[in-house]
Amino acid sequence: MALLDKEVSKQVKNMLGDMERTVKVLFFKSDDESECEYCSTIEQLLAELSELNDKISVEIIDVDEEEQKMEEYGIEMIPALVLLTEDGKDLGVRFYGIPAGHEFSTFLQDILVFSKGAIPQLSEENLKKLQGVEKPVNIKVFVTVTCPYCPRAVFTAHQLAMANDRITASMVEANEFMELSAKFGVSSVPHVVINDEHFFVGAYPEKDFVEEVLKVAKG
Amino acid sequence: MKERMFFDVGVGKSEIKESYDVVIVGGGPAGLTAAIYTRQSGLSALVVEKNLEGGYMNLTELVENYPGFTSIRGEELGSKMVEHALHFGAELVTDNVEKIQVEGKDKFVHLSSGKTVRARVVIVATGSTPRKLGVPGEEQFRARGVSYCATCDGHFFKDGHVIVVGGGNSAFDESLFLAKMVRKITVVHILEKPTADARLREKVFANEKIEYRPLTELVRIEGDEKVEKVVLKDLKENKEYTMDVDGVFIFVGMNPNSELLKDLADLDEWGYIITDENMETKTPGIFAVGDVRSKGLRQIITAAADGAIAASIAARKYFET
Ligand SMILES: Cc1cc2nc3c(=O)[nH]c(=O)nc-3n(C[C@H](O)[C@H](O)[C@H](O)COP(=O)(O)OP(=O)(O)OC[C@H]3O[C@@H](n4cnc5c(N)ncnc54)[C@H](O)[C@@H]3O)c2cc1C
Repeated sequence: MALLDKEVSKQVKNMLGDMERTVKVLFFKSDDESECEYCSTIEQLLAELSELNDKISVEIIDVDEEEQKMEEYGIEMIPALVLLTEDGKDLGVRFYGIPAGHEFSTFLQDILVFSKGAIPQLSEENLKKLQGVEKPVNIKVFVTVTCPYCPRAVFTAHQLAMANDRITASMVEANEFMELSAKFGVSSVPHVVINDEHFFVGAYPEKDFVEEVLKVAKG
Repeated sequence: MKERMFFDVGVGKSEIKESYDVVIVGGGPAGLTAAIYTRQSGLSALVVEKNLEGGYMNLTELVENYPGFTSIRGEELGSKMVEHALHFGAELVTDNVEKIQVEGKDKFVHLSSGKTVRARVVIVATGSTPRKLGVPGEEQFRARGVSYCATCDGHFFKDGHVIVVGGGNSAFDESLFLAKMVRKITVVHILEKPTADARLREKVFANEKIEYRPLTELVRIEGDEKVEKVVLKDLKENKEYTMDVDGVFIFVGMNPNSELLKDLADLDEWGYIITDENMETKTPGIFAVGDVRSKGLRQIITAAADGAIAASIAARKYFET
């Protein structure tokens, strides 16, 4: 059975009609169900998406066979999705876990932004501030797929990653990564962790999100 | 998660213009209905929503009193209203309104992104936010076991024991929702009798997972990294005791988001915006609708009704020549 029903497929096709350039999606998976409960579902989702628009090109990486690729992209757990620009540039945009539910909208929006040259949709002022960041910054946004406020947080984090090569931003689906969520004391989402040391909870407006990142990057 | 796999494509957000006939602040049922009626009067409408269109409905598991739907998921009702508003050509933008400024007949709505939108009429539909209890530990353990939203955070307490504070409709409704996932719920209420409706009371009292403790006050929340226990006070015996819990859910009412109009409208003693029967504030052309307004019943249907009244009256009063 298809994951995306007729109505949703139509909407997606419509939305992706605006795509300009090709976007590459790297999918790190394992066929071992005990390792990765949702890998087969994600694989199907990606197949259905690339059916809807031929500018989405999917590369599947079986981590049991190509472990070195994980290292190359700094992937530590699966399932993981990495977006690349047409010419294969990695801007640090990642999804750990299935981008279903409300996160599907984030995934689609990211794809659209990438296809239009991955230009971060941030204000001039914030862009300038972020470009001054010299220390590597890693942002994890813990979400659940039923959380309506989470896409904003993930999308903003991903924009930050696009703004500076030193910034990496990941969506982490809390239910699929229970141990990691427990480690960071996640009990409310979106829960945003910066460089594993600083956290805040809630979908902060762009300006405040940037300030939180700067606190860590400068400290 | 598997049983509820769904795919949200997100709504089409528009590039906004410099001016609209009507700008609506807040995209809950009140704001969305105002947008529908504004468009039906042939006027342009922009809805500015800082979080997610649908408003509080997104956080309500089931709505069972909106006419036409015996039972509908809050989120679904919300997205239907969003679609409805978009269908009639309302525009939506994700942004936060920081300030409303009045210059003669024009209103200027200042957004956090730095943009300013001009409008003849502004309809404020900003709703309300959960009230804090104000006990020690509440701030410290916020998002570390203290929550104000069962739909958002309930599943982090799977098989755990949580305490619910409050005895009204929200507290009882949310307890029933939590009972689907947690192991045990203790509901504490400072009064003897719950204020929740009879239907909810019956359901809660019949639920084996839920224990109701009247005349009990939550005094303090304690723990190390996260919530571990609470100190409760038996008000009849005037005795304090502790209870081990994994989470604390607080439903003790709401506070109106009325700061935007504190200088432009009169507020009642609880901070709700006072309007006339047409939803207009003391500033001509500025309306307030929904939960943020001073009124007797705060529900989705009354929020929608407010929105309809404000938009229709505004169209007649300010745009018909
Ligand atoms: C737990 C709970 C359960 C409930 N269950 C039911 C039920 O079963 N049936 C029922 O009829 N009612 C129910 N209600 C009540 C119902 O949710 C509210 O009456 C209704 O949502 C009010 O609608 P509104 O449009 O006035 O405000 P809201 O729905 O609160 O929407 C206001 C919106 O404004 C936005 N906003 C605020 N400030 C700004 C700003 N400065 N800039 C931009 N946007 C802003 C907010 O993000 C929000 O989305 C329940 C309420 C609670 C708390």
